[in-house]
Amino acid sequence: MILARVIGHVWAARRDARLQRAKLLVVRPHAIYEPAFATRHLVATDDVDAGVGDDVIICLGAPARASLGDNNMPVDAAVLGVVDRVELDADAMRAAGAAPGIKRPLEIAVGT
Amino acid sequence: MFLGRVVGRLWATRQAAGLAGRKLLLVRPETASGREASRLVVAVDGLAAGPGDRVVVAHGSRVRDLTVGADVADKDIVIGIVDGHELQGR
Repeated sequence: MILARVIGHVWAARRDARLQRAKLLVVRPHAIYEPAFATRHLVATDDVDAGVGDDVIICLGAPARASLGDNNMPVDAAVLGVVDRVELDADAMRAAGAAPGIKRPLEIAVGT
Repeated sequence: MFLGRVVGRLWATRQAAGLAGRKLLLVRPETASGREASRLVVAVDGLAAGPGDRVVVAHGSRVRDLTVGADVADKDIVIGIVDGHELQGR
């Protein structure tokens, strides 16, 4: 799972039939996510009524489909929850920034 | 999933059986604000997208199985054609 902030909505009239009733959000991962392409965003389905500006937990892959209650949804990312609060140890930033495979430091600024 | 723009089509005479008859699109992934990534992805069109369209591309074998069929040899699938999107904040 990854922590991300909702930054927008997507409208698409022409889409896979199973997605007709899905709400699609554009989210920006906060940290520790190295996508295949440098898009700096993800499109995720939303079942928990998140809105722009919310920090959310995103699940990728098969569990994302399971969370929608339908394993036949052709999606690879879903919002699992809206984050109320994040606590980070003061040293977590440095420790995470130094870990192998993490190319940029954490930039977590959870909304007030 | 990610947003991208269809920048072209791709044809191949000699290709794997798993691609026969499939419409292949060249999609350039974008940042949410529209800036383009430097690399392209070859995606199978599950709808009727064409060059110029902004699309939502999903990745994975399960997505592939559910949309264009398990026999297709590509794991990047166009699942939506974007009419518009709204971005707020950063």
